[in-house]
Amino acid sequence: MIWNTLYDNLPYLLHGTWIALQLLAGLLAIGLVLGLALALVEVYGGRLARVCGIVFERVFRGIPAVVLLLLSYYGVSDFIEIPPFLAAVLALGLRSTAYQSQIFRGAIQAVPVGQMMAARALGMGRVEAIFRIVIPQAMRHAIGPWTNEFSSELKATSLAYVIGVIELTRQAKYIISSTQGNILIVFGVVAIIYFIINRLGNIALYRLEARMTVPGFERRRA
Amino acid sequence: MSTVLRVESIVKRYSDHAVLNGVSLELARGEAKVIMGPSGTGKSTLLRCINHLTPPDEGRVFLEGEELTSENINKIRQRLAFVFQDFNLFLHLTVLDNVRIGPRRILGQSKEEATERALTELRRVGLEDRANYYPAQLSGGQQQRASIARALAMDPKVILFDEPTSALDPELTGEVVAVMKQLASEGMTMLVVSHEVAFARSAADKIIFMEGGYIVEEATPEVILRNPRSDRTRGFLKAIGEQEAV
Ligand SMILES: Nc1ncnc2c1ncn2[C@@H]1O[C@H](COP(=O)(O)OP(=O)(O)OP(=O)(O)O)[C@@H](O)[C@H]1O
Ligand SMILES: [Mg+2]
Repeated sequence: MIWNTLYDNLPYLLHGTWIALQLLAGLLAIGLVLGLALALVEVYGGRLARVCGIVFERVFRGIPAVVLLLLSYYGVSDFIEIPPFLAAVLALGLRSTAYQSQIFRGAIQAVPVGQMMAARALGMGRVEAIFRIVIPQAMRHAIGPWTNEFSSELKATSLAYVIGVIELTRQAKYIISSTQGNILIVFGVVAIIYFIINRLGNIALYRLEARMTVPGFERRRA
Repeated sequence: MSTVLRVESIVKRYSDHAVLNGVSLELARGEAKVIMGPSGTGKSTLLRCINHLTPPDEGRVFLEGEELTSENINKIRQRLAFVFQDFNLFLHLTVLDNVRIGPRRILGQSKEEATERALTELRRVGLEDRANYYPAQLSGGQQQRASIARALAMDPKVILFDEPTSALDPELTGEVVAVMKQLASEGMTMLVVSHEVAFARSAADKIIFMEGGYIVEEATPEVILRNPRSDRTRGFLKAIGEQEAV
């Protein structure tokens, strides 16, 4: 029966989930580090840096994720051998960089200019003022939109199967083709798994937001 | 008396509009001077040029004989404090951390030392019971007193004040003026842009009247307030006097 089949295949689904989570963690980490760096360059850098940043953003936000995955895997494979997982982390990570840089740029710009001025007037250096005064405030503005980014990137990991990453969605297809059917039930289970991860992630991020909140930075969500 | 702050011929232009046309002034140790003048006359620009928050196009600034340059600016600002019209307390930090961050992170004091210093300055401005509040939980007057404590914690040689009471509701200006008067009487060297005539009369050694990017005249409060040399000073005082009467 289908339940037996599901039970037998549970290890594969869990392994697929594990791969999806690794992909998610990897791409979000790339997006966080590079996105924050890009946002800082765009806000505080010179004109050229700003233009480069905006071009990068436009390109990676303007191309469908599937096309980016295919370009990353087949395009790079023309030159060097690259495992599909790495190609997926790279493609989705750079795409997330573009989205996250927008989030962080907006968050940095939401910090009043007087904050930087006051820090500099005390004799604090520019870089130190950015890290001690601006970024801690910007992060509090960013965490709400970042939670949305988390959700959409979780869902985007399911696209990585197009280049052969054996993540959760791909495992589901294997199970379906080896058991001839049961599409609805298998994908139903997969949907529930995505949903649970998404909820858990959101709950963790709301907790973090609540912990970081200080008076004056209350969450503005309805 | 020794000169602590010397400002020589500051010129500042925005595009081709000259906001400051060669402004010079000096502050001796312990002296308090109040700058008055019509809106848009360059008072804020002058203060920001003095600590190079806005670098001047021409002119020089000396603190205790040392000229401000782009190399030593961070060092000099540690001794040349600035109090803003809209306070600019660090919004994500408690009052205590706002006051402590300078001595701790910029002057490199130990945490205990910096905390001690911060609490002393908070007592001085009457805010020791608000140490663990965030700026958003304070009234404007309390925020401005906290920002003065933040300035004091750096042990500055001079404090520049840019209209410290003009963002406040009228009933809150008194508490800030009281703190500033106390500082003046304790011998703090200060340069204050303010239209608080009562403060200027009782606490200032000199009043500087500015207009159109020039210093029109500088004299003791008695002279400026009773018998100014320039008709423009007279006209301005009349105007703010009329405003006060309304
Ligand atoms: N960043 C800037 N860019 C262009 N013009 C500026 C800038 N900052 C100030 N100005 C101009 O310089 C002039 C002087 O401004 P400033 O703020 O120094 O005047 P103020 O005497 O402090 O006036 P107020 O009493 O209203 O505070 C104004 O005409 C203002 O428009
Ligand atoms: Mg001004």
